[in-house]
Amino acid sequence: MSTSVGLVFFIGAIGLCVIGITGIVLSRHLFRMVLALAIAEAGANLLLILAGYRWDAVAPIFTGTAGGQAMVDPVPQAMVLTAIVIGVGVQALALSLVIRIKERYGTLDMQEARQCMQDDLDDAGGVTPSRSRERPAGERPIPAPTVLNSTGGQHD
Amino acid sequence: MTDVSLAAVLPLLGAFVLPLTRHGILRPLGPVIGPILLAACALILFAAWSAYDVPYAVALGSFAPPMGITFYIDDLALLFALAVPLTTLVLWPGESDPAATGRQSLTLLLAGSLTGLALSGDLFNVYVFYELAAVASYGLVVGDGRSPAYVAAFRYLMISALGSVVGLIGIAIIYFKTGTLNLADLSTLSGELADPQGMAAFAMLVIGFGVKAEAFPVNGWVPEVYGAVGKRVAALLAGLASKLAVLVIVRILILVFPHDETRQLLLVLGILGVAVGELAAWQARDIPRMLAWSSIGQLGVVFVAFSLPGKAGVIAGVTVAMHHLVVKSALFLLADRWDRAIESLKGAASTSRIGAALFVLFSLSLLGLPPLPGFWSKFLVLGGLAASASPLQLLAMGTILAGTVIEGAYLLRVVVTFYARPDAAVRVPGQRAGNLLGAGLFALVLLTAAVMINPLWQGLEVLAERAVDTNGYQHTVLGDREAGR
Repeated sequence: MSTSVGLVFFIGAIGLCVIGITGIVLSRHLFRMVLALAIAEAGANLLLILAGYRWDAVAPIFTGTAGGQAMVDPVPQAMVLTAIVIGVGVQALALSLVIRIKERYGTLDMQEARQCMQDDLDDAGGVTPSRSRERPAGERPIPAPTVLNSTGGQHD
Repeated sequence: MTDVSLAAVLPLLGAFVLPLTRHGILRPLGPVIGPILLAACALILFAAWSAYDVPYAVALGSFAPPMGITFYIDDLALLFALAVPLTTLVLWPGESDPAATGRQSLTLLLAGSLTGLALSGDLFNVYVFYELAAVASYGLVVGDGRSPAYVAAFRYLMISALGSVVGLIGIAIIYFKTGTLNLADLSTLSGELADPQGMAAFAMLVIGFGVKAEAFPVNGWVPEVYGAVGKRVAALLAGLASKLAVLVIVRILILVFPHDETRQLLLVLGILGVAVGELAAWQARDIPRMLAWSSIGQLGVVFVAFSLPGKAGVIAGVTVAMHHLVVKSALFLLADRWDRAIESLKGAASTSRIGAALFVLFSLSLLGLPPLPGFWSKFLVLGGLAASASPLQLLAMGTILAGTVIEGAYLLRVVVTFYARPDAAVRVPGQRAGNLLGAGLFALVLLTAAVMINPLWQGLEVLAERAVDTNGYQHTVLGDREAGR
């Protein structure tokens, strides 16, 4: 009984990790990347919990009354607690960065945002754009923010 | 007798106290808290190095290992830990704009967590300190609010968070197989991790901690971040943070995975890092991104060096890592005002003669001109590779030599531009006095090392001997079981 349930949990944990990591690597939408990160972290945490779990044991809280009963290994649980807290903080930070990117560049698309960033870095350093054939050498023909807003809206 | 763990705790405390000094009676304390705390940390670590009998272990909160949390203090840990407050002091963000307090607070947070990373003796703590350092560095990257920095920080955060997920899976595998996270305990059980699962765990840990160490597959963030942020922050991340991440990987390699396969993995990642980094740096057309790619190449050399077995590997690795810390931090400091296209810096030597001269000095050391320490670091790596010449190591030798040639091409291109006849139309900005002072201090360290090569060599031998002594590590942490000092 418990081994088959454990197997389901293991497959679930690894599946969550795979879904999350695939999502981070493949998706272009910034918000989806944050969500994929949350899924991947859930998978990793579940895996860590499973590493120290015992089906016949109680929670590792020392109450001082009942002795002799086996307890679940507390180390992975403490670690996962820490990892969850760190994960929530990082996700909040990521979301605030997403908001700022939308404010500054008007897009939630990773590739568009990256292109804007590269252009800005090139402009700041005074490097003339030579690698992109699509980009006109002089001024941009259309005001940049409006164009980016309309394309960014499609991905919402 | 001061506890050496204070060196990790004091900056963390300072990081949370600092925002309180923005208003009220504590206000005059604001600008001085950070430097004073960092100087205190440097003193504590220095005292620990000279007074105590290293190596020894500190059990935090008197919980004996392997149950409790330990700090392990030996020469290797102290060298890297001491580098943290000293480098942070030189690169201290001492501006007085309104955002400066936040930046200083984050810098202290980074310094505290990096010191903790150097001293930690178990994977749990290493993970926590690593994440703390990562969060502090995201904050520093977006600190001055430039638009490209937000995108760069988001990509950095995503790659880094992906790395920590993979690293956590690696830690879970290790825990599943051994039931412990204490490095000393793990090193007694290293035989159980000598199978494919153990190798997978090591590979995952390298990916996880390799994000900050700019290891090959997870270094896409490097050029964007260093291009977008203030160059003092870039110096802190490229010079300091990457070295502490390398130290973590090296500790795990020496103590838990002392196998040929793991060394080969590190060697292959190093070769790829050198090849990719140097070629991309050659392509780069502005100074910050050129330095960023070159730092990926240099960290590739560091990985190759640490993949050498035994004492030779530690000596070569520590030399390359410390040399890169000094040189790359200084070069990024000089790039603070010269953060633009290379061709627009024509005649920079006529506006700042000292700045250009320092740039030449550091470039030559990076290339490995004989009297400078850079020569010895490369010499040690190549000598070690030649000593045990397997095909892969010969390939590494060839890659490093070819990388040096490419390095010469792009660094000397910059130097030639600096000393070219100035363009009347373009005005090259001069160097800020603070940056020149910082770079000068780094130059002093470099030249002192060049003169003191003999005593340094003897010190390194002792350091390496203690670092590879896994039995000593186990005995120090588990055998004595002394209650917390």
